[in-house]
Amino acid sequence: MIALVGPPNSGKTTLFNRLTGLRQKVANYPGVTVEQHLGMVNLYDGRQASLVDLPGVHGFSARTLDERVTRDVLEGKIEGMRSPDALILIVDVTRLEAQLMLVEPVLEMDLPTLLVLNMVDELEARGGSIDQEVLAERLGVDVVRTSARTGIGVEEVRAYLHKVACGDTSVEHIERELSNLAGSRALPVIDAFAARRRLVRSVVQDAGFASPRPSRLTEKLDSVFLHKVWGPTIFLAVVLLVFQSIFTWAVPLMDGIDWIVGTSGEWIAAALPDTWYRSLIVDGVWAGVGSVIIFLPQILVLFLFLGILEDSGYMARAAVIADRTMYRLGLQGRAFLPLLSGYACSVPAILAARTIEDERDRLATIFVTPFMTCSARLPVYAILIAAFIPNEPVLGPIMNQQAATLLGLYGLGVVAAIGTAFLLKRTLLKASPTSFLMELPPYRIPAPRTLLLRLLDRSKIFLRRAGRIIFAVAIVLWVLTQFPRAQGGPPDIEQSALGTIGHVIEPVIEPLGFDWRIGIGIVTSLAAREVIVGTLGTIYGVEEADEESLALQEILRRDIEPGAAIGLLVFFAFALQCMSTVAVMRRETAGWKWPALQFFYMLLLGYLGAFISFRIF
Amino acid sequence: MQLPAVAEQAHIEDLRLGDVPMQQEVELVSIDLPVELAEPLLERGVLPGCRICPVQSSPGGDPVVSVDGSLLALRRETADCLCVRLVSPFQDVG
Ligand SMILES: Nc1nc2c(ncn2[C@@H]2O[C@H](COP(=O)(O)OP(=O)(O)O)[C@@H](O)[C@H]2O)c(=O)[nH]1
Ligand SMILES: [Mg+2]
Repeated sequence: MIALVGPPNSGKTTLFNRLTGLRQKVANYPGVTVEQHLGMVNLYDGRQASLVDLPGVHGFSARTLDERVTRDVLEGKIEGMRSPDALILIVDVTRLEAQLMLVEPVLEMDLPTLLVLNMVDELEARGGSIDQEVLAERLGVDVVRTSARTGIGVEEVRAYLHKVACGDTSVEHIERELSNLAGSRALPVIDAFAARRRLVRSVVQDAGFASPRPSRLTEKLDSVFLHKVWGPTIFLAVVLLVFQSIFTWAVPLMDGIDWIVGTSGEWIAAALPDTWYRSLIVDGVWAGVGSVIIFLPQILVLFLFLGILEDSGYMARAAVIADRTMYRLGLQGRAFLPLLSGYACSVPAILAARTIEDERDRLATIFVTPFMTCSARLPVYAILIAAFIPNEPVLGPIMNQQAATLLGLYGLGVVAAIGTAFLLKRTLLKASPTSFLMELPPYRIPAPRTLLLRLLDRSKIFLRRAGRIIFAVAIVLWVLTQFPRAQGGPPDIEQSALGTIGHVIEPVIEPLGFDWRIGIGIVTSLAAREVIVGTLGTIYGVEEADEESLALQEILRRDIEPGAAIGLLVFFAFALQCMSTVAVMRRETAGWKWPALQFFYMLLLGYLGAFISFRIF
Repeated sequence: MQLPAVAEQAHIEDLRLGDVPMQQEVELVSIDLPVELAEPLLERGVLPGCRICPVQSSPGGDPVVSVDGSLLALRRETADCLCVRLVSPFQDVG
């Protein structure tokens, strides 16, 4: 296995995609979530090499979780993952001096290393140059110049991988100036860095590195994007555009999927004999899975935007703009990306918080991330809002009550997140002032290939999850409705095992105006929020199998009071009903303390919120 | 952590990066921050002796500086902990 290492934004992912194409997958290893991309590279004469794309780091001091994961992978400490046979260190050659600060710690790993000077296209366009031969000689490693964007030099990287696969590489134990540094660990940290810096400077000077002119484009764009007035204006416009696009551009696609799921459901219902398993398949599994797949377009649009914002370099500026406000709330600018990603799904969002260097800031960020209205809440919101909120205009023609309710629920999440962050930073996570440091990469045009591959990844993860959890829950539920047998047939649903469970929890949820059916829905949706749709589908489907089948919305309207329905919406806005999030929290915080606290805190908030709504409305 | 590069410079240590006007290149003299907060700076090449030039100010009034061809955004609280001295743009520091 060969690992790609380098600072953030040096082009690791772009090169990785060039080399592996579609032969890649997101791998997870026990212990830590290494949501790492593993891929196969085709070499010559039929050989293959596996390549792993690691998070960007500036060093291996293990201050951030990203750094810790990267170091563990490089040292072969990840369970079930081989330690790398060779490394590819990739740097942005336009910022060579700063980026080469990583060269010494990487070479200290004593593995065959290829130094990739990426973005030569940009270096040359801006009038810089470098003699790679001298660099290779001084550092004792192979060096290639590439442009991962245009494909220049990628074959040379492949040739190097081939050499590694054939066992043709060795670590050159040449007298590096580095060897005197090996003992410098004991020195005060500043001296070690100063020595590193001197080495880099002398190597770079010998290699005749001529720095490129500063990027005019970046200067111009920054004077707008970081402008006192324009900066925040554009920032807000971007955030609004993201939301607007989720709710407009994605809609035609969603309608299409809805139609496909609906029609195929009817088709399946017609094709199946009218027996015991028909409602399981149609109302439980098919409707349940369908209610989730429909949100795929929204997730894709959101991730497309996040990808463009990140790869273009704007996200770093957005973090700088957000920092002052976030700082006042007890968070910091780097929390902006995770929180925005939280609108799609908390799981990748919590992983994205790994770049936050301060541990308390990171904990506070991932603690409040699940308050962001993730896409799994949307099926629930959609069905309850359609059933209970009249479609009448408020504020003139621009918005109707349904849209206003949805907006209100989004707002509720934000308010809860702000309040919670504020509270946490004054109690459990009280900290001395932290610092915020953000590197602003030059603005670049994102590579479409990278964006597409990322979307493909996201779809796969999303669909797999929708399939597995919902399918499993539907089956378990259905089995529970079939026992204990009454006169050889399935019991009346209230007498079934499921009904009994429902009646046991009923006293707890009665103050909220929910009956036992909703209770079961809430219990199953603790696994994943969207499961409630399929659950109610199963319960009502079984119960009313012989009645004229009503749409779920109409049944809900008949069985739930409006106040309780609003309470249910509020409950879903607050409660942490997502086992994937709990699991990822446990891994990211190395223990049960934070996920447990988060789960019960959010549950309590949800319960109180629902109780109050039921009393008011 | 006080990290003076040259001891005699103590008297000008009251010039902080936060006070430097835009486009005025300065040399970093010392970093007046605890190790955990200084380390991210060090890793990115912000070390005593390096040249720093403020190039932008964020809407919140925080500086964006250029170091070694990279752009770094700092908080002004951090910038106020970086002691610097003026250099003429043509003088070589070696
Ligand atoms: N001009 C140019 N841009 C590149 C090159 N390689 C990557 N990029 C761009 O640099 C940005 C960051 O690349 P990415 O692969 O995401 O970096 P990573 O953070 O190291 O994975 C993206 O917008 C890429 O399109 C290159 O060789 N030349
Ligand atoms: Mg990447």
